[in-house]
Amino acid sequence: MKCKKCGGKAVINMPQHNMGLCKDDFLQWLPEQMQKHIKKQKMFTPEEKILVAVSGGKDSLALWDMLNILGYQADGLYIALGIDEGISYSSESQRLTEKFANARGLNLHVVNMTADYGIDLPTLAKETRRGRDKPCSSCGLVKRHEMNRIARDFGYDVLATGHNLDDEAATLFSNTLQWNGDYLIRQHPVLAERDGLARKVKPLFRFYEKEMAAYTLLRGIEYIYDECPFAEGSTSTQYKELLNQLEHEHPGTKIHFFTKFLSAKKKGLFAEPTTKIVPELHICPKCGQPTSAHEICTFCRMMDRVNQ
Amino acid sequence: MNIFIDCTARNGKIASMKKTSTIILRDKKYDVKAGSTIRAALLKLEILPESVICIRDGELLTEDNMLKEGETIKLVSVISGG
Ligand code: SF4
Ligand SMILES: [Zn+2]
Ligand SMILES: [Zn+2]
Repeated sequence: MKCKKCGGKAVINMPQHNMGLCKDDFLQWLPEQMQKHIKKQKMFTPEEKILVAVSGGKDSLALWDMLNILGYQADGLYIALGIDEGISYSSESQRLTEKFANARGLNLHVVNMTADYGIDLPTLAKETRRGRDKPCSSCGLVKRHEMNRIARDFGYDVLATGHNLDDEAATLFSNTLQWNGDYLIRQHPVLAERDGLARKVKPLFRFYEKEMAAYTLLRGIEYIYDECPFAEGSTSTQYKELLNQLEHEHPGTKIHFFTKFLSAKKKGLFAEPTTKIVPELHICPKCGQPTSAHEICTFCRMMDRVNQ
Repeated sequence: MNIFIDCTARNGKIASMKKTSTIILRDKKYDVKAGSTIRAALLKLEILPESVICIRDGELLTEDNMLKEGETIKLVSVISGG
C-alpha cells in the first residue's frame, strides 16, 4: 500500500479516511488533525494552562507528546492508585510516565493514594464496598476528585484526557443501549467550566485506537502495554470488539457513529430536559470542591468511612 | 553429535516443505501458511485487523503485505480497556 501524500511505502492504512500514510506523513498528519479539531471545537488556546491526565498508557502519553509538539503549555498529572497485584501495573506505569516527562523536561504532578491518603485503591474499594469485585467505580471517583483538585490548586484552565474515538464510541454505545439520557446529553469532547471546575476536553476524540497505538510506536514512546488487571473482561472492551467487527465490514462505522451523534445533538435531536438533570452544585465543606451531594462530597464521605 | 545434525537438517526440510510464517500475539505463536496477505492470515486466525498493528523487523506494515516464508510478524494489540 502506498502513502497517499508522497507515494512511499505506507505504514498505516486508514480505510475510514480512504488513505494510507508513510511514517513521516502520518507523524505530521496526526498532530495537524488534532490541532484542527482543538480549534474547531474551541478546546483551548496557546495562552491557557493545560493539565493532562497521564496514565502511562499509549493514548495519554501520545496526547501529551502532541500537545508538547504543538507548543501548548501542558503539564501532566499521574495518580498512583497502588494497583500492584500480580503485574505491578501502577508502579510500572508510573515509572514509564516519569521517564517520559524527564526525557522531555515536562512538568509532572504525582498524586500518591497511599502517601497522600494512607490507603491504596484496591483496599479503599474493598473497605467501602463500592462495586462488588471491581474497584472501578471508586477509581473513577478518586480520579475525578484528584484531577479537579490539582487543576484548581495549581490554577489550570483546562483538564485534558486521552479518550480516543474507540473509547467514546464504546461509551456512546453503552449509553444508547441503556438510553441513559443524562449521559447522552453530557457526552461531548468539550465540557465547559462551571462553578470552579476546570473545562474538560478530549483532543483525541476523532482518532481510532489503532492510530494512537501506531503513533506511540512510531514515535518510540515506551508505554504500559498490559492493562489494569481490573479491566479484564470489562463491558467496554466487549463493545470495542463489537464495534470493530462492524468497522471491519463497513469502514467508517465507528467515526460516523460518534460524529453523527455530535451533529445530531447540535441540531437539537436531544431536547433539553424539562426537569433539571444537571443538579445544583454547592461547595463541600471538607475539601472545598463543588459537589451535587448533600453536605460533604462523595469522595470525602468515602474517605471518612475508611478512616473511622 | 550426529543425531543433532540430523535433527536440524530434518527440521529445516519440514519447515521448507510447509512454507510457513509465524505470527505472534502476546504469548501466543501461530504458524500460518506463507504466500497469502497478512490480512487473510489474520482473518483465518479470527483476529480483526482493526484491533492489531503488525510489525516486521521492528517496522510497522500494512495488512496488504504478503507473508514471506520463514518470517515472523509480531502483533501489537491496540484495544485497551477500563
Ligand atoms: S480498570 Fe483499573 S484503572 Fe480502570 S477504572 Fe478500573 S480499577 Fe481504575
Ligand atoms: Zn508519505
Ligand atoms: Zn469533599
